[in-house]
Amino acid sequence: MPLDQPILFKRIPTPPWGNFADRQFVGYDQFVKTGGYEALDQCVAMTPKDVVDQVKAAELRGRGGAGFPAGMKWSFLPPEDGGRRYLAINADESEPATFKDQILINFDPHSVIEGIAICMHACRLDTAYFYIRGEYHHHREAFQRAIDEAYAQKVFGEGSRLGQINGRWPDLFIHRGAGAYICGEETGLLESLEGKRGWPRIKPPFPAVAGAFGRPTIINNVETLAYVGPIMTHGAEWFKGMGKGRPEGAPPQVPASFGTKLMGISGPVKRPGVYEENLGVTVIDVIDRLGLGPREGVKIKAYFHGGISMGVITQEEAHAGAALDFDIGKKWNNLGLGTACITVIPESFSMVSAARNVARFFSHESCGQCTHCREGTNWLYKMLTRIEAGDGTTRDLDMLLELSSSMGSMPGNNICGLSDGANWAIRTIANKFFHEFEAVVSKPTSVSLAVVG
Amino acid sequence: MAWITKNSGGMKIERRESPWVDPEVRSEIEAALSRYPTKRAATMPALHAVQDKHGWIPYQAIEEIAAIVETSPAEVMDTATFYEEYFLQPRGKYTVWVCQSISCEIMDSDGVMHAVEEKLGIGPGETTEDGKFTLMHVECIGACGGAPCGLVNHKLVENLTPGNVGGILDGLE
Ligand SMILES: Cc1cc2nc3c(=O)[nH]c(=O)nc-3n(C[C@H](O)[C@H](O)[C@H](O)COP(=O)(O)O)c2cc1C
Ligand code: SF4
Ligand code: FES
Repeated sequence: MPLDQPILFKRIPTPPWGNFADRQFVGYDQFVKTGGYEALDQCVAMTPKDVVDQVKAAELRGRGGAGFPAGMKWSFLPPEDGGRRYLAINADESEPATFKDQILINFDPHSVIEGIAICMHACRLDTAYFYIRGEYHHHREAFQRAIDEAYAQKVFGEGSRLGQINGRWPDLFIHRGAGAYICGEETGLLESLEGKRGWPRIKPPFPAVAGAFGRPTIINNVETLAYVGPIMTHGAEWFKGMGKGRPEGAPPQVPASFGTKLMGISGPVKRPGVYEENLGVTVIDVIDRLGLGPREGVKIKAYFHGGISMGVITQEEAHAGAALDFDIGKKWNNLGLGTACITVIPESFSMVSAARNVARFFSHESCGQCTHCREGTNWLYKMLTRIEAGDGTTRDLDMLLELSSSMGSMPGNNICGLSDGANWAIRTIANKFFHEFEAVVSKPTSVSLAVVG
Repeated sequence: MAWITKNSGGMKIERRESPWVDPEVRSEIEAALSRYPTKRAATMPALHAVQDKHGWIPYQAIEEIAAIVETSPAEVMDTATFYEEYFLQPRGKYTVWVCQSISCEIMDSDGVMHAVEEKLGIGPGETTEDGKFTLMHVECIGACGGAPCGLVNHKLVENLTPGNVGGILDGLE
């Protein structure tokens, strides 16, 4: 059922309730007039544990890509020891085709800041760093403006309404990235925060135990934190009344897809943009109802449904009912929901080119510390460039599939998920559109002498 | 065969009297130092401060930053070279970044790039002789709804076409 009123986009005009053109910066006063910071004041009156328990009960899953339950992450923190504890907000948003967090940062930053403050109270974190990607210049300025307002209104700083945490007045600072996709990976982000190159760390230890500057640290996505305020105001049951529940008869430990989600649409559709809808909505519905369908003369072939790292789903799979929820990976053979930002791939665009584009991205953005990722992504890129140019052979296709299916943190030869993204993106494209690859490679013309046994 | 030599063997760090970390940049770095528990964490804000002021980051500035954040110049260099936004060489007055990631390529970012190349007479990574433009490829800049898109310095430009991008560049002083 279509969402009847927006939650995260309550103050951000969005079709069908409003127009993109009316979007503007919501400052402190307007935010408060529309119920803002009520959740924070309510939380400050509660014990931190009760706040964590409510977020846990809501089963809010991370909106940054991996879908890890936020409340559970918050409860992994060790007991307080008087030392500093950090929150790092992931506003790196560098996944290709993804542009959802920037809307919240640009237009309703206080909704994010309220979630940040609640999280700091609940988890006893004294200092928060908002890690924003370098290219978000206007967004950075908008967010800084909101932070300044929040300090003036005693959300942070001396005399904060949160009181002292770990013997300090709570602070929120912006940390500006400088153009590196890998700093969206949570431990790459922490390294970057410490002033180093963004090389992901080997886990464990997990950041909750030893994160930024070696201290306990929580890392959450912008959209995840923006949901904390509404959940505290309306309760866990309200949240679980939206989105898609567990499959019939599944035990409570099976994760569900509750709530709404920001969804981006890009590519040749009539109305690209960022929308909000219930999790569980079908891809077709998002494209046709929200994006108003493909542009004149465009026939859709496939979608990157959650940023490129998740791989592709075909138009046939979409017509068969592929839906945007946390189970999309298992059901439709891809890596998962990802960022839920969809790119439409038209018939006229070659899937070999799509694979070459993503291979170039991963080879360019690999941080280079693991051999399989550094060499593998570059090798894939070279091979795909060759195949695209018509110089590939059938043997290249075998190598392509072997390479792309063997690297990653899941196969166990790399440190972080970047290589899994490369693996899934290229492998699902090649598997689901193998005919397009076959059509452009040359078949062997001489008999090869295979050595058997 | 003629030998093609390059003078990297004698590479010298160019120096000037006045520091690149001038009082204005220094006060920004000092503000950054107060935001982190370690000095080294101020490295990125310091690099940004130098680049925002001067347009690029000279080696001498790397040494000056290292002294302030109390680490070795090599470590500052390590950080500076990892991130794409930092320029270790002078660049044009305007840096034009054209996104080449998937949504933009589907919407013809190649055509846009070719139009810019033709207009400026340079390729990605190069600067025009008059020092006005530097052209760069960039990966997804989070504005995919307006694909193909790019940045001109800090300003986002969206819905580019091979036809309209020239006019945007003409409008720059
Ligand atoms: C290569 C890579 C890039 C990532 N980039 C981002 C990103 O840009 N933004 C983000 O929120 N999470 C990103 N993530 C996921 C984070 O590591 C982390 O799971 C997330 O920020 C946790 O927040 P959440 O639980 O609220 O979703 C990335 C992960 C990987 C492996
Ligand atoms: S998998 Fe790739 S990006 Fe991730 S740590 Fe290893 S080399 Fe770096
Ligand atoms: S793909 Fe170009 S801005 Fe996202």
